[in-house]
Amino acid sequence: MSTGTTELLGAEGPVQETGIVDGKQVTALSPLQLFWRRLRRDKVAMVALIIVVLAILVAIFAPLIVKATGAPQPNVQNPDLLDDFGSPSGPTAHDWLGVDQRGRDVFSRVVYGTRISLLVAFLSTIIVVVIGVVLGLIAGYYRGWVDSLLTRAMDVMLAFPVLLLAIGLGVACADGCLNNTIKPGLTVVVTVIALSLWPYMARIVRGQVLSLREKEFVEAARSLGASNSRIIFREILPNLVAPIIVYGTILIPQVILFEAALSFLGIGIEPGTPSWGSMISDAVGVFDIAWWFMTFPGLALLLVVLAFNLVGDGLQDALNPRTAK
Amino acid sequence: MFRIPSRLLAALALVALTAFVAACGSSSDKSSGSASKQQGAPTKGKKGGKLTQLGASDVDFLDPGQTYYTGGFQVIYATQTPLYAPKPGEADAVPALASGPPELSSDKKSVTVTLKKGIKFAPPVNREIQAKDIKYAFERAFTKNVPNQYTTYFSFIEGAPAKPTSSPQDIKGIVIDPKDPYKITFKLTKAQAPGFAAFLIMPVTSPVPREYAAKFDKQSPSTYNENVVASGPYMVANNAAGKDTGYKAGKSITLVRNPNWDASKDFRPAYLDEIDLRTNATDSNVSGRQVLQGQNLVLDTNPPAQVLKRVVQRQKDQLTTLPGGGFRWFPLNMTIKPLDNINVRKAILAAFDRTAAIKARGGSFVGIPGTHFIPPGIGGFDEAGGKKGPGFDFLANPKGDLAVATKYMKAGGFASGKYTGSDELLMVTANVDPGKAQAEVAKAQLEKLGFKIRLRTVPQDAVYTEWCQQPAKKVAICGSAGWFKDYNDPQSMLEPTFKGSNISKEGGNNNLAQLNNPKIDKAMDDAALLEGDQRNQAWGEIDKMITEQAPAVPFIWDNTNLIHAKNVNAVGNAYMNSYDFAFSSIK
Amino acid sequence: MATYIIRRLLWTVLLLWVVSGITFIVFNVLPSADPALLRAGRRAEPEILKGIRETFGLDRPLIVQYLDYIKHVFLQFDFGRSYRNDVDVRSQLLDRLPNTIYLIIGAVIVWLTVGLSVGMISAVKRGSFLDRFSMTTALVAISAPVYWLGLVVLYLFSKDIGRFPLLPGSGAFQDNTDIFHKIEALIMPWCVLATAFAAIYARLLRANLLEVLGEDYIRTARAKGVSERRVIFHHGMRSALTPIVTVLGLDVGILVGGAILTESVFNIPGIGRLTYDAIQRGDIITVQGATLFLALAVCLCNLLVDVMYSVLDPRVRLS
Repeated sequence: MSTGTTELLGAEGPVQETGIVDGKQVTALSPLQLFWRRLRRDKVAMVALIIVVLAILVAIFAPLIVKATGAPQPNVQNPDLLDDFGSPSGPTAHDWLGVDQRGRDVFSRVVYGTRISLLVAFLSTIIVVVIGVVLGLIAGYYRGWVDSLLTRAMDVMLAFPVLLLAIGLGVACADGCLNNTIKPGLTVVVTVIALSLWPYMARIVRGQVLSLREKEFVEAARSLGASNSRIIFREILPNLVAPIIVYGTILIPQVILFEAALSFLGIGIEPGTPSWGSMISDAVGVFDIAWWFMTFPGLALLLVVLAFNLVGDGLQDALNPRTAK
Repeated sequence: MFRIPSRLLAALALVALTAFVAACGSSSDKSSGSASKQQGAPTKGKKGGKLTQLGASDVDFLDPGQTYYTGGFQVIYATQTPLYAPKPGEADAVPALASGPPELSSDKKSVTVTLKKGIKFAPPVNREIQAKDIKYAFERAFTKNVPNQYTTYFSFIEGAPAKPTSSPQDIKGIVIDPKDPYKITFKLTKAQAPGFAAFLIMPVTSPVPREYAAKFDKQSPSTYNENVVASGPYMVANNAAGKDTGYKAGKSITLVRNPNWDASKDFRPAYLDEIDLRTNATDSNVSGRQVLQGQNLVLDTNPPAQVLKRVVQRQKDQLTTLPGGGFRWFPLNMTIKPLDNINVRKAILAAFDRTAAIKARGGSFVGIPGTHFIPPGIGGFDEAGGKKGPGFDFLANPKGDLAVATKYMKAGGFASGKYTGSDELLMVTANVDPGKAQAEVAKAQLEKLGFKIRLRTVPQDAVYTEWCQQPAKKVAICGSAGWFKDYNDPQSMLEPTFKGSNISKEGGNNNLAQLNNPKIDKAMDDAALLEGDQRNQAWGEIDKMITEQAPAVPFIWDNTNLIHAKNVNAVGNAYMNSYDFAFSSIK
Repeated sequence: MATYIIRRLLWTVLLLWVVSGITFIVFNVLPSADPALLRAGRRAEPEILKGIRETFGLDRPLIVQYLDYIKHVFLQFDFGRSYRNDVDVRSQLLDRLPNTIYLIIGAVIVWLTVGLSVGMISAVKRGSFLDRFSMTTALVAISAPVYWLGLVVLYLFSKDIGRFPLLPGSGAFQDNTDIFHKIEALIMPWCVLATAFAAIYARLLRANLLEVLGEDYIRTARAKGVSERRVIFHHGMRSALTPIVTVLGLDVGILVGGAILTESVFNIPGIGRLTYDAIQRGDIITVQGATLFLALAVCLCNLLVDVMYSVLDPRVRLS
């Protein structure tokens, strides 16, 4: 996950400085409506959004797609497609994208791989967002010792070599840990990712809340005697929705890459499960003679991550028109 | 690191075995038949030159009292002179430091070895080796500062400490002849001299000079490992104080000639001037290619499939094939449902495509499909049915036979021919290939019959110690199990792995399938007393009896394939499953 | 200034202490490989295990083990010895560190050169084809997994297996001993590792620069007739680069461990690779040591950034 950190921190920079949220200037449209309207004008982002939707559909209907195309199931091993030394064979009419070194169809594995990637991506992002928003809100709104404590906690997490922490947890929890609250497989991956990424989200939310709580409309609500919870839920949170969506979207491609990197290192997901990262990892031994095996999962990964990044970019521009193209 | 799973254990666990007798006296010693070109008597080589071995992993230890893996063995047998040592092309141990075969007392309760005179330690010790150095080597092995796997095999020496001691204690059962400082006698509490004599080939019988090593052995753990003094033709390059400067952990080991070594007193030709072991060449694909293209290079272990393919197709003269002398199997833990059902097990064997699992290990050049357990070249192999096997229908087709499998599933109470229960079977394997690859295949093979498999990958070393050998962990199928010989004897192959009375519930269990059949146990007890053809016949029959119980999928009898550069006259040593530095040379 | 640095240092120590605690918990309390079993190897008999536990002090309460570990780490910078092969963890880490540093330094140079120039040109030529082309390329670069990119580049350009054999392939770094060959062997890893970062920095600089160029004082400068070149370099870049310095510090710190993927693909024996191998072997104490060591790297880089910042911008010290 060498790429994740800067991207997230970088994203934080300009937004904080410009103060964001134009919501209060516009009376006719809610911030979200305005946001959507701007986004719709961004053609690239819309194309990317279509790709994202397609990827989600592929993930949902993976079994149907594989069935409809007549491809073998992703875990069917056909040793006859391997030569005498166990080397896989390339694309044919039967296996469009060739087979891997177990004789499994690469096409159907790539299709099924979408499931793991997106499932992990959405689950982890939701958890990260929830933790980040709750802690960020508390820290930013109440400040004082709570804030210090949470900021320190974030600092500790940020100082951690994230990938190593993830690997450590992945290895330690491979059979489930903490009385089996963390079950082996997907849960470990999601937990590990959520644990490693929440501080970024919390930081961003905290920063937003810090600036929001000084705004006039919050001051006004406070002077009218509104309770803290009312201010948080009625005044601050609605103004956070747009940025949360944006950062959530920016987070998704990072999470996908994170999951793939973990799979590449052999952490978490059960071996044999079609996942893009582990496919690439399996291909390391044979990539010089089996280009197809390495290429297609990588392309799928690239495409989906790119699409999410483009959507995220579009969303950010829509949220923040001053820095937009 | 997966080179020789339990190979040593196979031999050592059998304390009662009359190994020396069996190895020498057996009339059906077929090992030389399966040997490949460089297995025979080594041709004379040219003196001089430097050889580099590329390897992905470091040796476990350089200390002869501690090392337990191939890498360490390879260095020990080039740098040390243990009492006995393996010689390429010969099945039996040859005297190294010993001047002749061990003398066994008639009551089989003592073993006497006389050392050669005039063999000296390498610098900085430089003095002649005497029996006291062997005695010290044994005594230090019982201390807790020198943790090792050997002591349990020597624990029946008279006066041997029952527990690891904090400092070396005098063991009264190891006696040095007061008149002859070269004569050492081991007195045993049990009549196990033949077995004990066979174990004197182990690295732990290398001499250790007390006056030099004691200060290192005081450390916990002992630092002798970084200050080992050599007794063989080579030594790890060291400085004046004896520090092994040639050992760079996780990087390289440099072996240079031992200036005190006397060629006239040794069976090893030691052609090379220098050997460099690179232990950080982590990508075996890359190292494999380098060896094939380069000069003065050998690879430390089986090359990956791609490299093997190239060498077989285009550069066959750079391949050395040694008989693996073992079998790999997928044990089906009979204490776990539904594997307790013999028909279910037979169905699994019948459905299993063994050629697919072999392809996962690199294809037909890495070995042939097993049809029973005793491997080719070991006594009892032909008697058990040879390559064709004992003729059971569930092992008839190496590619698997679903019809037969269905038949057995039905007989086992699954009317649909598929497993319909809800139990999940735990399969544990290594996190690296080929262990991972073969287990993935095995998982798919079992899923054909409807079984649910949870595949768990763990570090290589943990596969056995923490999982498969611990019955409490309830591993249903061990995904990377192999058993390899130390010498040609069928008992050492079958007894530790399938004898019911050898099941150890507390851990360290080697009967992975937990086959517990009194009839088989009884037959083993009887066969252990036999010699020669009778012995092979009996063990062949036992092999059939075991196979009939379908306790495991015997999927491959494998070879060790090693590759070397064109200009290297590389000599393989089947005992350590690697090249022998003391016999290899540069062309 | 001095008190500020001291305060920061104290905080770093505290932080490392917490990190060490978490690391210790992750690797020792949660179920994971038993070091005694690892050491015992194939003969894991209760007697032997007990002996090993005694020798290594594994039979003591965890808290005592932890305090002992911490004492060694903080007072002697000693990370213990591998249970597997008894090798000193610190010497392994220090041994591998230079390789990781070579990798990072080269990559940093590549990504700063490429990223900053692309970012600046894009900002100046905002909205042009060039701008859009480089920003799209940048996004693709960010989206590509680094290990996959590594494999693709090796497949295409490495001397041993490449379709267009140009550069030394995987493993060439550690096979060569002379500096020129080592540098040659690092070209591909540098570029691969730098790709995503170059893209991120280009985007970051572009965004910052656009923002700065919109500020009043820039408009004033322009109105006064200051040349565009001077506006961009003298006024614009100066303030646009400040946040980049922060991010760079963090990235370098994280990369000391984060280069694990690049190091594995190209077989560079750095700290990441060491950790990866240790994980494969279940060599916990090495992983534990590496994690702590890397946390130290991150903290030091953070500290450096903060100190640099406070030197550059006195206002920071107040907060």
